[in-house]
Formats: sequence, structure tokens, C-alpha cells
Amino acid sequence: MRDGHRGPEHSDSRRGGFATTHWSVVVAAGDRASPDAERALASLCEAYWYPLYAFARRRGADPEEARDLTQSFFATLLEKNYVADADRERGRFRTFLLTAFQHHAAKDRARERAAKRGGAERPLSLDYDVGEQRYLLEPVETATPERIYERRWALTILERVLSAVRRDYAETGRSALFDALSPVLVGASPAPSYRAIGEDLGLSEGAVKVAAHRLRRRYRARLRAEIEETVSTPSEVDDELRHLLQAVSG
Amino acid sequence: MTDAPSCPRCGSPLPPDAPEGSCPRCLLAAGLAPTEPHDEPVAVPGPKELARHFPELEIEAPLGRGGMGVVYRARQTRLDRIVALKILSPRFASDPAFEERFAREARALARLSHPNIVAVHDFGQKGGFFYLLMEFVDGTNLRQALQGGHLTPEQALAIVPKICDALQFAHDRGVVHRDIKPENVLLTKDGEVKIADFGLAKLGGAKPGELTLTAAGQVMGTPHYMAPEQFENPQSVDHRADIYSLGVVFYEMLTGELPLGRFAPPSRKVHVDVRLDDVVLKTLEKEPGLRYQRVDEVKTEVNSVAEDPQMTAAPTTATQGLSVPATGRKLSKLALYGALCFPLSILVFLLPMMLLSLLSPGATGTWREPGVLTIAGMTTSFFSLLPSAIIGLTGVILSLSGWVVIARSGGRLDGLWLAVPGTLLPFMCGGPLLALTLLFLARTGPFVYTLF
Repeated sequence: MRDGHRGPEHSDSRRGGFATTHWSVVVAAGDRASPDAERALASLCEAYWYPLYAFARRRGADPEEARDLTQSFFATLLEKNYVADADRERGRFRTFLLTAFQHHAAKDRARERAAKRGGAERPLSLDYDVGEQRYLLEPVETATPERIYERRWALTILERVLSAVRRDYAETGRSALFDALSPVLVGASPAPSYRAIGEDLGLSEGAVKVAAHRLRRRYRARLRAEIEETVSTPSEVDDELRHLLQAVSG
Repeated sequence: MTDAPSCPRCGSPLPPDAPEGSCPRCLLAAGLAPTEPHDEPVAVPGPKELARHFPELEIEAPLGRGGMGVVYRARQTRLDRIVALKILSPRFASDPAFEERFAREARALARLSHPNIVAVHDFGQKGGFFYLLMEFVDGTNLRQALQGGHLTPEQALAIVPKICDALQFAHDRGVVHRDIKPENVLLTKDGEVKIADFGLAKLGGAKPGELTLTAAGQVMGTPHYMAPEQFENPQSVDHRADIYSLGVVFYEMLTGELPLGRFAPPSRKVHVDVRLDDVVLKTLEKEPGLRYQRVDEVKTEVNSVAEDPQMTAAPTTATQGLSVPATGRKLSKLALYGALCFPLSILVFLLPMMLLSLLSPGATGTWREPGVLTIAGMTTSFFSLLPSAIIGLTGVILSLSGWVVIARSGGRLDGLWLAVPGTLLPFMCGGPLLALTLLFLARTGPFVYTLF
């Protein structure tokens, strides 16, 4: 159990924000546990637990089973350093997490349900009630547990990135600007009228245009940085982006 | 959350859990695109204002509009021909270096006189904007054909070599397209293939993937067709970037999907020749040095697959018409089972029986008593007949399957090589049986035939 450096308030402040460490740090640490790697892994898990929960639910676990399984998985993961296997695959955090989870689920079944399943350990404080509410909103036609996992993963990344950018803007008192301009991130058509936005916010049309450009640039940089944290080398970012794009394409 | 049911940009349905109500596809694509799309449709002069600058043209309907400009359908009155007039966005006019670049690129484009390349008739600058006068292509583009879902693997194999011809021709003259994608592959009504917008991506600056302005009026901002090195250093890519983009288009034509992430080879998704997997995967190598180094090589490989009628359906010359499903893989499986049946029946039945009949003194002994039916004798004759019956039946089944395949192959005689040996099999198995009978006759005398 290694939760000494993470109180719930800490994780809350971090949720939706950015961890300062990368999956590559975890992979590089290999089997020799380092505090940096542990912290990185914990913050990655906090960010991406929900896709696993949705995966377990879709596989047929009821809410309680899914919660126990996810919780015991993270307990084992953080305690036993499964990650030693990860650099062998030189994989991405997304695939590593799912593989390790499936492995864990299989072992868990074999151990029979009688085992304590991590007992009172709570290495991460995760809000499963919120998770379950979200799960009930998942589109039912999303076929396999693997698909729902990947789709969820992609959406989780986007949510994290968007809320991080929003927070950046809020911190400098520009929430209204973000709200007005966020449609440009998806290239909305018809394009928002910069003049109208400018009138609302008391800015010139040119200034709004520049702001829109900056917002897109910042969003893009954030998105790529977030994905970079889940892959082992920066060169994989484009490929991972393409993969996620396919995961969210119906 | 917006209440829009589908994304206004890419048209895919918006899921209820879309982050901030925005389309997740476009949000992710924004991370891929090297630069942001243009904020608004370009302001270019309307037909009336243009008419003042182009007295020799009757400007008709706009064909398309995009980040780079607008294309009008126009009639050249003196030559009485239809042309396409592309007006570039005025934002280029504010770039002093652009004029020189534009002239250089346009001259290079005008030299690309090839049946598979949309011709550039004229270019210039009038009334503060740049224009290109181009061949008008009457037809659709490959994107529309893909969306219509009519494209068969045979048609894909007919289209790809023509794209290769166009690209090789341009590459030989030092022109890289930089923006090959289905929207830029035009299909004329006569079934010809023409590539549009050669080199224009370079002209517009480092913004491939968003400049396309097609006959269909579609403006796509997709980075999916760009080679990996185009993301990193858009200004210094070579012709091998085109080869990558061609691979993406090829993959999409075969499977209907983009080769995203860890994608499956085409033959695992659809019934196409497995040899195409190697071709497609080699064009899609991330490292330019691992791809084909010339587009010609792609063409040669594709043609060699298309021309081998054993493995795949016959190639069609036209890009429209036939709608025969590829039967290559089904056929080979069927043939494999058939081929296995034949030696198996010989091994399992014929050989042991021949040996038994010849070597067992008890069995041959009974044959020496003419007209006497012993149990052993009957058993021997039964088992002698059984293998020929089995082989004969196998032959009948094989030939029937072969004929069915022929009937379904739309006149291409796909199953012929299966039907012929299948039909011959019953006759062939009669040979060993005849030999066996003759052997008995030689050993036991003429009376034995009364047993049969």
C-alpha cells in the first residue's frame, strides 16, 4: 500500500488536470520501483480508471463486482509492480492497462470470490457512484467490452484535455472567451461570427480571430501532451491519435 | 451540451456523452492536423464581378468552395468548351512572395500534360486575385464513389494503376502532389481517372489536407491521408509522401475504412487477394525508405495481382460495370478440400484393399471356386468396390461444386479448373480398379467374373 503521498483532496485537484509525469517514466523505471514512477503510475490510474470500470461492467460484472475488481486491480498494480512486464511489450499505457486488468480478472476468478480482494486497502479514492451513473449512460450498441474500453479511453482523454484548457482560461479570467470560442475547436460550421463574439465580449473582430487561433493551438498542444503521457515514445502520438480516432468512429 | 444530433463538420452522429458537446472525432483530428483549418469560407468575388475580369468566359455555377478558393464552371466562348476556373483566396494576394511561387508552380502544373492529370490551361492574376483555368472534369470523385459503396476490389485494382501513371509522370518532372486523397481522384463518366490539384498543397503553404476544392464542392480537412513525415516537416517531403497517401486511398478503396492505429491487412477484412496485403502495407510504411521508392513499382505489383486470374477475379478495364463478388479465397479452400479427398480415399481404402486381396491366401483362395459365394469372397468384392464408389462420389461432388462456381462467376469460368478434374476423377479411379480386376483374372482364371 503506497498511498502516503496521495490524499483524496490531492487527487481531486489533479483530476481533469495534468500529471507531471509520463507513462514513459513508469516504463523506464522497469522493475526497480522509484517514487517518481509510482507517482506517475498512480496519477495515470486515477485519470483512466473509468474505461476499465466500464469494461468490467460490459463484461457482465455487476456494479459491486466491477468496483471490487477495479479496486483490487489498482491495489495489486500499485503494490506488486506489474509494470516490470510492461517494458517487455514496450506498449502503450492504454493496452498495458487493459491486458493487466484482464490478467488480474482471470486470476481473481480463479482465486474464488471468497478472498478478501484487497481487503480494506484503498490506494486510490475513485468515485464509483459517479462511474456507475456514467456507465448507465453508455450507448448500448457499442459492441464488445474492448470497444467500449477504447472508446471510453478516447473520450476520457478529450474530457481531460478540454477541462484542462478550460481551467487555463478560467485561471486568467477568460472563461467567457473560452465558452464563446470553444466551437472553433471542432471547426464548427457555420463558423462562429467573430464580430458577434467580439461585440459580446467587447473585443475587436481581429482580436477574437487571434484568440481563436491561440485557443486552437493551445488545445492541440494539450491534446498531444496528454497522449504523449500514455505512450512510451513521443513518436507514437500520431499513431495513437489515429487509433483513438478509429475507436470513437462508429 | 448542444442539441445537434450530428457533427456539423464531419457529419458523424454526436454521441450523448460527447465531451463538452463537441464531436470526439473532430476533437481528435484537431490533434493530428498540423495546422488549424481556416476560420471561415474565403471571400472571393461572385460571378458578376468575375465576368468583368474574364470577358472571354461565361461564368456559370460554382462547383465548389474551400479554404483555398472557389471553383466555377465556365464556358470559353471562342473555343466553345467547358472549363473550370479556380479563383484563389485573396489572402494569398497579401503575400508578396506568393506571386513568384504561384507562377513557378503553375508553370510546372501546366507542363503536366497527361491523360490522368487534370490539365491546367492558363493561370494569372486579375483584379487582385490569382486564378487557374483548368480542364473541366465531368463525373464524380472517388470520395463520392466510396460513399455510394459501389466500388469492387476489381475496380480498385483498375483505378490504382491509373493513379500510379499520373503520379509517376509528375514525379518524373519533379512535381509532388502532396495531397492525394479520394476527393482529388476524379472519375469521369467514361471511366477515366484524373488527378486534380497537383502540387497546390505546396502552393498554399504548409497546409496539405485542408486545401482541397473539388468538383463536388467538398472541403475536407482530414489529415488521414498524410504521410507521417508530412506532419513533422511538411515543407521538405518528397514523392514518397504521395506513395503513402496512395496506400491510404488504396486501403480505403479495398476495405471502406482508413488504416488507423493497428489496422488489419485488407484480405482479413474483405475477400481480396492476399498478395495485395503486402503491396498495401509496403506503401503504408511509416519510414519513407521502407516504402516503394517509385510509384511504378506499386503499379507493377498491382497489375501482376490483377492479371493473375487464378488468385483473383479478372481485371476489368472500365471503372464501372461489373459487380461480381471476388471468389478467389472461397475457391481455393474448396479446391484444397477436394484435393485432399482424392489421395485420402486412395490411402484409406484402395491401397489396404489391394494389398489384402493380393496377399491374403484365404481371400484369394475363395476366388478359385467358381460360382461359390463364400462370406470372405463377398467381403472382398464389396471392399474392392467401395473405394471406387467413394472416389467416384468425391469426383461427382467436386465437379458439381466446380460447375456451381462457374455458373456464379458471371461468365469468367472461375471454377473451370475445379470442375474438369472433378469430372475426370470417376474415370481416373476406374483405372486402378481395372488393373486390380485384370490382376485377379490373370491369377485365378476367367471364372472369377461370375462373382461380379
